[in-house]
Amino acid sequence: MSLAIVDAREWQRMFDLRTGARVEGDNPLLRMVMEIQARRPYPGDLDDAGNRWVTDTALDLVAGYDPSFVFLTYARQFFIGRYSVLSGREWGEMVTSVFDEVSRFVALSGFTPVIVGTGGMMPFVDFIDVTHLHGLVLSTHWSARYSGLHDGSNRDLELLASLPEIERVVHRDEFRRLFSDCSGDDSRIPEYLLVARPGYMFRTVGGAFRKVRRVPAPAHSIPLHIGLRLGAAASITDVRALVSGHVRERKIALIVVEGLGVDDFPWPHLECRNGRDWFYYEPGDAQYLTLATGRHQVFEYPAGYKYFKEDAEKKEYPLSGYFTSVPQDTLVSGLGVRSIAVGNRSMLMHMVPGADISLECFARNLFNQGTMAVVRRMDKF
Amino acid sequence: MQCTYCEWRCDLSDGRLGVCRMYIEEGGSIRERFPYRWSSCIPSRVESVPFYHAWPGSRCLVIGTAGCNFRCRYCSNSFVAKQDPATIQDGMIELTPEELIRKARQLGCHSIVFNVNEPAMSLPSLEVVAGEARAAGLPMGCLTNAYATEESTELLGSIFSFFNVGLKGLSDDFNREYIGIPSAAPVLRNIRRLASLGHVEVTTPVIEAANDGELGEIARFIADVNPEIPWHVFRLLPEDEMKEARYPNIDAIAGALEEIRAFLPNVYFHNFVGSDWVNTLCPDCGTTVIERFSLGCGGDRLHSYNGQGNRCPSCGRQIRIHGEKVAWNAGEEKP
Repeated sequence: MSLAIVDAREWQRMFDLRTGARVEGDNPLLRMVMEIQARRPYPGDLDDAGNRWVTDTALDLVAGYDPSFVFLTYARQFFIGRYSVLSGREWGEMVTSVFDEVSRFVALSGFTPVIVGTGGMMPFVDFIDVTHLHGLVLSTHWSARYSGLHDGSNRDLELLASLPEIERVVHRDEFRRLFSDCSGDDSRIPEYLLVARPGYMFRTVGGAFRKVRRVPAPAHSIPLHIGLRLGAAASITDVRALVSGHVRERKIALIVVEGLGVDDFPWPHLECRNGRDWFYYEPGDAQYLTLATGRHQVFEYPAGYKYFKEDAEKKEYPLSGYFTSVPQDTLVSGLGVRSIAVGNRSMLMHMVPGADISLECFARNLFNQGTMAVVRRMDKF
Repeated sequence: MQCTYCEWRCDLSDGRLGVCRMYIEEGGSIRERFPYRWSSCIPSRVESVPFYHAWPGSRCLVIGTAGCNFRCRYCSNSFVAKQDPATIQDGMIELTPEELIRKARQLGCHSIVFNVNEPAMSLPSLEVVAGEARAAGLPMGCLTNAYATEESTELLGSIFSFFNVGLKGLSDDFNREYIGIPSAAPVLRNIRRLASLGHVEVTTPVIEAANDGELGEIARFIADVNPEIPWHVFRLLPEDEMKEARYPNIDAIAGALEEIRAFLPNVYFHNFVGSDWVNTLCPDCGTTVIERFSLGCGGDRLHSYNGQGNRCPSCGRQIRIHGEKVAWNAGEEKP
């Protein structure tokens, strides 16, 4: 059983991650994790200290658990960039600041870094209003470039084809063909995937209202910094093998830096394919799952799917948002070493890499509820 | 010309805008500045709104507009409620009432719930939406601060059948300092009136050292209106001007609520992940009738509904529920 420990500041509770049932537990490992949570309250997604929290928390866990593999995510600059007006100088300072945190972790922990940028950001240009179609268009999970059309009419398709802000309209069969070598349940894919041109974002029902300033920039390639010449990776799907091939000989930290692309990544890097053909990943679950599994993961929680249909009572993994299961065969599976994951991206830390211990912020739509740790393995301690 | 929608009764003469900046005087009558423009249009669990005793388990379409007549220092929706409505219209979704109803159906929603900001800021639009919703068989509910005029309260009562009223505090000092209104008297008056017109739940956000000393008095007021009114005590997540404020201590508040449960049985304490105080217990025998899971701002959810109809499965006592339990995907089958 995986245990989830919620820290809502001065108050902690433990749950079965899968069922959400209250459980009790007490052993040195759990105490160590809970003490770190109590000592390290999350300052908030937009707070200046948001990325510092990642480093501090990770260093505490490294000291307490002595892992050989660490998965980290720094995301504050992505949240700030999305909702704030920033000058080029301010953005540059933010990039410097996040890499100061990365450097601090690497210097104090001694881990060899493999650093991935999830893709850059660009100014938001305008909405594509698809709310008046006969069919239903949904955007999911912070996506700007993609949305899904359900039950569209011929007239809808004619209208969409006439909109210059739309790059392409892709029938689900065409999408399946593009990723025909990928296994997995593809039943969630919407009838049509709508793809926006760079800078545009779909105005749909279901969106949360905050004024967006920047959206993900085109990212057919993403930057990959590999410490100590561990090797190379031509595609995002190669990163897993790169890491797992070396983790038994040296301690490795796979560090995801959100919102940075090949143009603004400050350290030496390779350019790594971030998708296939016209499709590239935006920052989010599919990109993370692909990193962690070494396989394209475009079917699992596809853009524009009807996520809400799966939200019925007694849904499993109630603390894990729209995730309905723990991904199998992820990066940490079979490594046989101690592992941790820490980051200020909710849900992805505990659901994606499959680390023994994860610690993440518990924030939804930027509202800060505290932190959540998930302890998956206690037998290695 | 005075605006009649809320208790500020702002002077809208000569092109002036009122506190909410959502109404304007034109040709001797008051009209909305931004009709049918929605800041939110999103499917949600009704428990997330929160409604714990109305249509349990159902999916609602949450809508909102812009503007507010309160100036809560801790506002968690200040990016909509406190902005000049004119400056955020480019982000709004413009849907006619017919389109809104259609979206609700396409999204498999059982009801429409106005949330995010104050419905009195958009009453003419909501009145038309209500007509369409009624024809489509979709109930409507709302969150409201109830700082409406008596006339508007009657209108709210005709538009919505279930309400969650924010009763932030009782003292004039608190209301002046934290909410920006001179007194809660109109709110108390309107809670009594709305409770006579429809289903009412009440929400009180707790701010440590500001209104936590009033919890007993607020509970006695609610119990005087109707002791079965559900009361949601919210652990406030300070935002906006109070972002640096201390998070209220959970155990201290929970302790204070224990005594209150004796005379106001449907007391809940949430807005934090994993709260222990979100289940509905039978007031007579203590059996857990409805189990929920609290995700704080991520929204609460129904975990299991153990009632037999709206009765306790153990002793048969009637539990105050507006409507009935609705399966989450019940609306998916609707044409």
